[in-house]
Amino acid sequence: MMKLNEVRVTGSSIGRFFLQGGTVLALIALIVFFFAMRPDIFLTFVNVKNIMYQVSILAVIAAAQTVVMVLGDFDLSVGATSSLAGAVAGAQMLGGVPVWIAISVALAVGLAVGLINGVLVAYLNLSAFVATLATMTSVVGMAFIVTEGTTLFNFPAEFNELGQGKLLNVPLPVYIAILVSIFVWALLRFTTIGRSWHAIGGNVEVSRLSGVKVRRARLLAFTVAGVIAALGGILLAARLGSASAVQGSDNTLLSVAAVFLGMTVIKSGMSNLGGTMVGVGIIGVMSNGLNILGVNAYVQQVVTGAIIILAVTLSGLKARER
Amino acid sequence: MRNKFKLLVAAAAVVALSLTGCAASGGGEADKPFKVIAFTSGNQTPVGAWWVKAVTAKAKELGWELTMIQGDFDFQKMNPAVESAIGQGADVIFDGYTDYASIGSIVTAAKDAGIPMFAMDSGVEPSDAFAINVTTDQQGIVDSTVEALSTELGGLEGKNIMVIGHDPHPGIRERAGLAEEAFKAAGANIAGGEIQKVQSPATGRTEALALVADYLAANPNGLDAVWVGWDDAALGASKGLAEAGSTAKVTGVDATSEAIAEIQAGGNFLATIEQPWPAILDTLIGYILTYQKDGSLPSTNFETVGTTLVDKVNAAKITPSDKL
Repeated sequence: MMKLNEVRVTGSSIGRFFLQGGTVLALIALIVFFFAMRPDIFLTFVNVKNIMYQVSILAVIAAAQTVVMVLGDFDLSVGATSSLAGAVAGAQMLGGVPVWIAISVALAVGLAVGLINGVLVAYLNLSAFVATLATMTSVVGMAFIVTEGTTLFNFPAEFNELGQGKLLNVPLPVYIAILVSIFVWALLRFTTIGRSWHAIGGNVEVSRLSGVKVRRARLLAFTVAGVIAALGGILLAARLGSASAVQGSDNTLLSVAAVFLGMTVIKSGMSNLGGTMVGVGIIGVMSNGLNILGVNAYVQQVVTGAIIILAVTLSGLKARER
Repeated sequence: MRNKFKLLVAAAAVVALSLTGCAASGGGEADKPFKVIAFTSGNQTPVGAWWVKAVTAKAKELGWELTMIQGDFDFQKMNPAVESAIGQGADVIFDGYTDYASIGSIVTAAKDAGIPMFAMDSGVEPSDAFAINVTTDQQGIVDSTVEALSTELGGLEGKNIMVIGHDPHPGIRERAGLAEEAFKAAGANIAGGEIQKVQSPATGRTEALALVADYLAANPNGLDAVWVGWDDAALGASKGLAEAGSTAKVTGVDATSEAIAEIQAGGNFLATIEQPWPAILDTLIGYILTYQKDGSLPSTNFETVGTTLVDKVNAAKITPSDKL
């Protein structure tokens, strides 16, 4: 299993400063760059709102990924779980089930997928990579079964409102992403289970010897991630007014990238919610800025990959410093 | 007595030979079922899923021995499975919605085994890979959608039009290129200076939505229309326009039920294209039956079929492609 967070930075130097603050500096540099290129557009309310709207669902799914990566694991099924949840909610509503029951069932599906992941990793000792890769495959298949390979649409207006409604001219998914972020941040920082996750991510054996119930904690982490990923999928279905088996499939890779980017933000080099949101911000700003500048989509993909490599390299450098 | 016996043997030989001759005249043998290998990589799309069901039903109706291989867009899985089936022998291979560029090894195996391959929407230009490939007329699709936009906008001269395509799909690539040419020829400006490319069909809707939203953030009221190569992405573009308060119009291709509903609702989605897949399938089944009967192949290896523009006027009469 890959250890993501066995790091501690000591001492100070300019190099270390850049290493430490690289991701935040990168976000600031991107904002300054795009603002310089299009000062009339980039930091306007409309465009900032646009960026936040575009990354709000990724932010929710990245929060789910953060929970798992705090333990030093991955969840490759978050994107698929979100698609399945959106599809389940959609299918239920089209079958006449009331909106809130449909949403509850979809969240329960996410919980079930998370539980399965947790059991596979914590109790059957499968590597998180293999276990979640396998569940991802099955979950995508289930989503195709639920949607029958088509795109579900014609959802009730109150459901679509969840993804398309606005409060003070700001889309609701932005508020929901902020609430989820605060919830995950508090969960990681102030609760016993959050501290247990950090401890397991630091050193499993020491945690076990210290009395942390490692298996149960790991099971809980995957379960929480499953539920939050499902919430992301429900939001995506509401935002688009439709649900398909594969929509939002890019969120798995992007959520991992966001967490990696965020790991360089704090001193310990561990996965952390604040850092993840900085990572999400970088992905959103970069995509929006490059679109505004009219940069070819393929070039954008190359740049995104390069940013991920840079983030992982920075994480590696910090780990070596320890 | 001896002469009578010789006559009997000669008569039996003549009967046996004539029976053999009859059997050899078509694509199959009289005493064996007609063996068809059908494959598609696009079974996870609504139209691909329909094709699998429709071909399976036709095969049952016609008494064919069908081997149906569904590739899930995974050529590493699908191609060896088809080649393995070819190795076990077949009379005909039937390709559904899989571009010949992705099945080079299948083409080679089929040629080596001397089995003709019939194809449906498996490329947008003639190819020796197939006995025949029947697809839709890409130029016709472009002509009717461009004309619909021109009529709606009162001409295209000086209008700002975004063209959204997806290169890995040969049909979308072809028609997006043709659309760009047509708009330029009509004096329109291509928003962003070139075709905007969606990277993955799976995320086409969100990608198109972001492309339109970002473009309009940078260029408020900067779009008169968005031409999109397929409906799913067109629906994203339409949502992006609606959210930005733009009245620009969108056209797509596929005639999905969601696109038809949008057209009927009278918002940004102006029109889409119905491609007559059931009729194309019937045409191809006809060619295969002719081959089965007398071993003859179509005189040309590429055929295109006209399409129907779906707008508010006829939307209610169209069968959506995901409800075939």
